[in-house]
Amino acid sequence: MLLHYINLSWRSVKNTPVISFLMVFAIAIGIGITMTSFSVYHMMSMDPIPHKSSKIHYPQLKLMDEGHGWSSSDNLPYQLSYQDSVNLYHADMDLLSSPSFRTGFSVHLNTPDVKPRMEPARLVNTEFFQIFERPFIYGQAWSRDAQDDKPYVAVITKDINDRFFNGENSVGKEIYLDNKSYRIVGVTENWEHHLKYYDVNNGAFNEAESIYIPFAIAPLEEVGTWGNTNGWKNEALRTYQDLLRSEQLWTQFWVLLENEEQKEAYGNFLMAYMEDQNARGRFQRETFEYGLRNVNEWMEYNEVVSEDNRILVALSFMFLMVCVANILGLLLAKFLKRAPEVGVRRALGASKRQIFLQHIVEVSVIGFAGGVLGIAIAQLGLWGVRTTNSYYNTLATMDGSMLLAAPALSLIASFIAGLYPAWLVCKTQPAIYLKSQ
Amino acid sequence: MLKMQKISKVYQTDSVQTHALRDFSLDVNEGEFIAVTGPSGSGKTTFLNMAGLLEPFTSGQYTLDGIDVGDLSDNRRADLRNQKIGFIFQGFNLIPDLNIFENVEVPLRYRGVSAKDRKRRIDECLEQVGLVSRAKHLPQQLSGGQQQRVAIARALAGNPRFLLADEPTGNLDTLMARQVMELLEEINRNGATIVMVTHDPELARRAPRNIQVVDGQLADFTLYQGKPETGVSSSNTTPNTTPKTAEV
Repeated sequence: MLLHYINLSWRSVKNTPVISFLMVFAIAIGIGITMTSFSVYHMMSMDPIPHKSSKIHYPQLKLMDEGHGWSSSDNLPYQLSYQDSVNLYHADMDLLSSPSFRTGFSVHLNTPDVKPRMEPARLVNTEFFQIFERPFIYGQAWSRDAQDDKPYVAVITKDINDRFFNGENSVGKEIYLDNKSYRIVGVTENWEHHLKYYDVNNGAFNEAESIYIPFAIAPLEEVGTWGNTNGWKNEALRTYQDLLRSEQLWTQFWVLLENEEQKEAYGNFLMAYMEDQNARGRFQRETFEYGLRNVNEWMEYNEVVSEDNRILVALSFMFLMVCVANILGLLLAKFLKRAPEVGVRRALGASKRQIFLQHIVEVSVIGFAGGVLGIAIAQLGLWGVRTTNSYYNTLATMDGSMLLAAPALSLIASFIAGLYPAWLVCKTQPAIYLKSQ
Repeated sequence: MLKMQKISKVYQTDSVQTHALRDFSLDVNEGEFIAVTGPSGSGKTTFLNMAGLLEPFTSGQYTLDGIDVGDLSDNRRADLRNQKIGFIFQGFNLIPDLNIFENVEVPLRYRGVSAKDRKRRIDECLEQVGLVSRAKHLPQQLSGGQQQRVAIARALAGNPRFLLADEPTGNLDTLMARQVMELLEEINRNGATIVMVTHDPELARRAPRNIQVVDGQLADFTLYQGKPETGVSSSNTTPNTTPKTAEV
């Protein structure tokens, strides 16, 4: 019977092409606009590493004099000082952790054949690749020994490897960052994330870095950050060493905590660390606070998805409701015009339920067509969004779930629109129309 | 087959009560062919709507094929219409978007008949009304008489035991009207019970039994062709060739 209803619906659409097109177009516009904003919101708020996001944690330490606060919701700073990152990394705990910060270099091969180019880079420790599961095409991450003793090693992305080495295995070859030579130990896939969740301090939607070198290079080459630097203390920073010893906050830190026990133990360690640093006279305070948020909590804490985004999505849904109201009016006109035919069907034995189903199927056919056309309009809208800023390149897209959500939402919207007209027409008293037809 | 006892139908608006039927009682036996006549607005169509379960009645008792239909749900009434009753209307009431085959198919689909059985049954019915060759035509491509024959085929498709015809020849010329009437008589001879509302006294005379509705009441009945009366309600058992108003 369902196929029969679909057949009847298709005939009805063909018999009333103008009104049917208006309905399909109205719902398509509504779905297109809604899915454009909702897809961007979905990509922004999507768990960036679902199988592991609850285990990867970001520590925050309130290491400052009493009376000093921060602009965050809980007065905890967003970054760590260099010395705290180094201390946390070298703590005697059997955990995977890594400090990091964003920088950049002029990259070249020290030959006139290949032009140098500025590339963003990230200083990390070897555990970073394990924590964030970076897949290697060639080679692997540097060893802990290399990191400690011979830190002039680098991991590059496929993009850099293609650009400088024509895609060949470049492991063991040299690459120059500014004026220093680094031995390539690994080539990873490009990190094409929609959300740069491991460093939201420097733009949550910026592109990933293409070169990774050990954190230990920072003091050796006096590498400056390409990110934010903040501090609570007035300090004279005359040299790079002053910066490393200062209370300036400019590094990020991630630690992998497999379970609640590890998280609790790490929390205790952070408290003990802060008390120890206080005892050493770095700052004066009596109460200590720390933060230890997993990836999704960290995204929420940093308001990666802003209130504006949510309002935009809400507005687009309201627009969809306006479209639904319009479709409801058109459906009312269309279905009530058909009341005499419904009267005949009722006389011939159709139950109210069968009449209702027939019309709901027709509404669903219109909704499905609107959903498909809506996807095309949404693609157009997303293309428009992508042209406004390059960081929307990975955000303004529809993934599989959104491609399924569009027709589903369209069906729900059309169902809502069709509910009243279908209910009204199924209540048709056959006797009224049989004589008058 | 059909037994109505003191059926009343009142249409109520804010300030006006209209009694379309008053204490209407009638027995129709299996296999009868009854013509219902009466002036316009007398309640003939209302009676037909009650008999066809198209409208609920206000009071009284109605038994169709042994089933008291008074308390039936809307769904059950739809089932009964589908399984036991066939309708033929003055305006044919064919669905314009469906071809002839599909129009005849409508009641069978609601009954859940398989595609194979549907086709067989539709072919039989169209053959009976002489329109097999027009199965793929749309209603508007047929003459009025042909459309009414399609409507008859549709009414017959579900093999109903009870056929209700409301002015089946009202929109047809004399020749076509006669053909339709002959078809109805043939259907009646094959065992179906037929109640036909008509304004045409000539057609009414061809029915073995006549009843007249005046002001929502059964006024009189007349027997033609010398057949003995059957199935009239107890208060109307006396045949009378001269119409007169009688209490029902």
